[in-house]
Amino acid sequence: MKKFLVMFLTVVLVISFAASCKKKAQEVPPPPPPQVQEQPPVEKVEEPVIKEPELTEEEIFMKKTLEEINQEKPLAMIHFDYDRYNIRLDAVPVLETNAKWLKDHPTVKILIEGHCDERGTEEYNLALGEKRAKSTMDYLVSLGISPDRIRIISYGKSQPLDPGHNEVAWAKNRRAQFLIIEK
Amino acid sequence: MKTKIIPVLIIFILGLCSPLLLSQQEVVLTIREGVPAISLALPPFIYDSSSPQAKQAAETIYQVLSDDLRFSRVFQLVPKEHLNYIRPLNPKEIFFKDWESIQARILLVGEIGLSENRMTFEVRIYDVKSERMILGKRYQPEPELFRLVAHRVADELMKLYGEKPYFTTKIVFVSNRDGNDELYMMDYDGANQTRLTFNKWRDYMPAWSPDQRAIVFTSYRAGNPDLYLLYPYEGRLSPVSTKGTNFSGAFSPDGKKIAFCSTRDGNAEIYVAKGDGTGVRRITFNSAIDTAPSWSPTGREITFTSDRTGTPQIYLMDAEGANVRKVSFGGNYLDSPAWSPDGERIAFVSRVNNFFDLYILNLKSNKITKLTETNSRNESPSWSPDGRHVIFSSNMSGSIQIYSIDYDGTNLRCLTQEGENKLPNWIN
Repeated sequence: MKKFLVMFLTVVLVISFAASCKKKAQEVPPPPPPQVQEQPPVEKVEEPVIKEPELTEEEIFMKKTLEEINQEKPLAMIHFDYDRYNIRLDAVPVLETNAKWLKDHPTVKILIEGHCDERGTEEYNLALGEKRAKSTMDYLVSLGISPDRIRIISYGKSQPLDPGHNEVAWAKNRRAQFLIIEK
Repeated sequence: MKTKIIPVLIIFILGLCSPLLLSQQEVVLTIREGVPAISLALPPFIYDSSSPQAKQAAETIYQVLSDDLRFSRVFQLVPKEHLNYIRPLNPKEIFFKDWESIQARILLVGEIGLSENRMTFEVRIYDVKSERMILGKRYQPEPELFRLVAHRVADELMKLYGEKPYFTTKIVFVSNRDGNDELYMMDYDGANQTRLTFNKWRDYMPAWSPDQRAIVFTSYRAGNPDLYLLYPYEGRLSPVSTKGTNFSGAFSPDGKKIAFCSTRDGNAEIYVAKGDGTGVRRITFNSAIDTAPSWSPTGREITFTSDRTGTPQIYLMDAEGANVRKVSFGGNYLDSPAWSPDGERIAFVSRVNNFFDLYILNLKSNKITKLTETNSRNESPSWSPDGRHVIFSSNMSGSIQIYSIDYDGTNLRCLTQEGENKLPNWIN
């Protein structure tokens, strides 16, 4: 350690000596102080920037693709009771929100998909899925949405959201979900 | 699509006109349950043991034929070891008393030969008691059609004894093995699984025409569940009903009509079209769900599912839609009725405590018997053409596969393995 310290100090001493020697060698008389002159003010050179007006919500919406809109899921899905297709009480506020959104976006057309859980036969579930889609459509129509803007389709039990085989999965899979197909 | 069934070349027919053959113009189908099966001796086929091709042909045809006969429940094979008790078979000089002594009623002699470098298979069927040949056939198949030759021989035997032949028929079904639900077909024993539709949309709920030249099915290919007719051997597809949800197509036994379910007028009702898909007429008028039609073998009646009493139940009506009556009892979720070819029974699905099992309703005795008991989901029953077997889909192994079971609940066999397989249809 000590050896290193000594060596380090020596190196520092040598370098500082050399530096001071250099300065001395380069020393020249200072230049005369510059004459004080008034400078003209700087003129700005620029063209006016075109500023786009801020996009309205509608314009932002129209710029998006259908895929992007559907990914944002503006319309929440609703769920049904086992073997039933009537609109549950907890689905009413969801459908009211969906109806409001549809009124705010009057050009949008939607597809309502009816789905079932696996505890039904293929045939009956296809019919039940359609009934679920239909009662969802009827409710939206009763809230003032034109039936011309709605199409329905049934997938029966062939497209479960949750592949599980328990009450939680089944409850999730008994649903009507919304797809925007035109804007 | 290239047809897979290339007609097997029948060179000539020996001993064709047996009285048995002539006497079976009109076959009335009855299931002789409990009647002992016809005892048939099937000694190993004769072939030139120096030729490995002949050996392979002999073994394949023998195996498939004996599997067919065992499956039939019509024939019973004389146990192999009984052949050790008698003189070895000499095809030139058959000692019929030997075969009678081991209880054989029929003797089937098969011989593999070589003619112009092609394999030939000759089969002669003898009635042991009368010591007469009742049928002789000779085939010259390509090696990939050995199975078909065996099925042909099994069909000939069925016809000889007044039974409906079905070993050369196909089962159509839905499989997701290639990524999404597509139509496939296979032999009755699960061999030769062949894809029939090729697209990325769901193809669903297929049903054969009686001649197995057309398939009525549901497809989402146009963005809506529409009903189509597919002619797989002609590569032709034509739409039948394209408004609303259209499904559960079923050909009438004469092939002249198609019953199906549709919501084209707003509610799930049953409709009937002509065999080519034109002339659609509605036959049910009820605010409930009416679905899953299946024809009686006479074509005069239709069984279907309706939830008009609150839960899905099995009903009958005549083919014009009149005279509707409920035939199911005891159960609150019944669906997928399938009328048996003998007309006496209806197979259906019943849900009890989240398990789905197959049941058979006997229309004569008004008794219901349970066909499956697997604590799983057994669905979509379809009868064999002779009414002795039922095919269906089940998740009993964990994944959904197609099974067959005999009318008395025995002989459960799995027919598929690859992907998930469902909605089998053999006949309507």
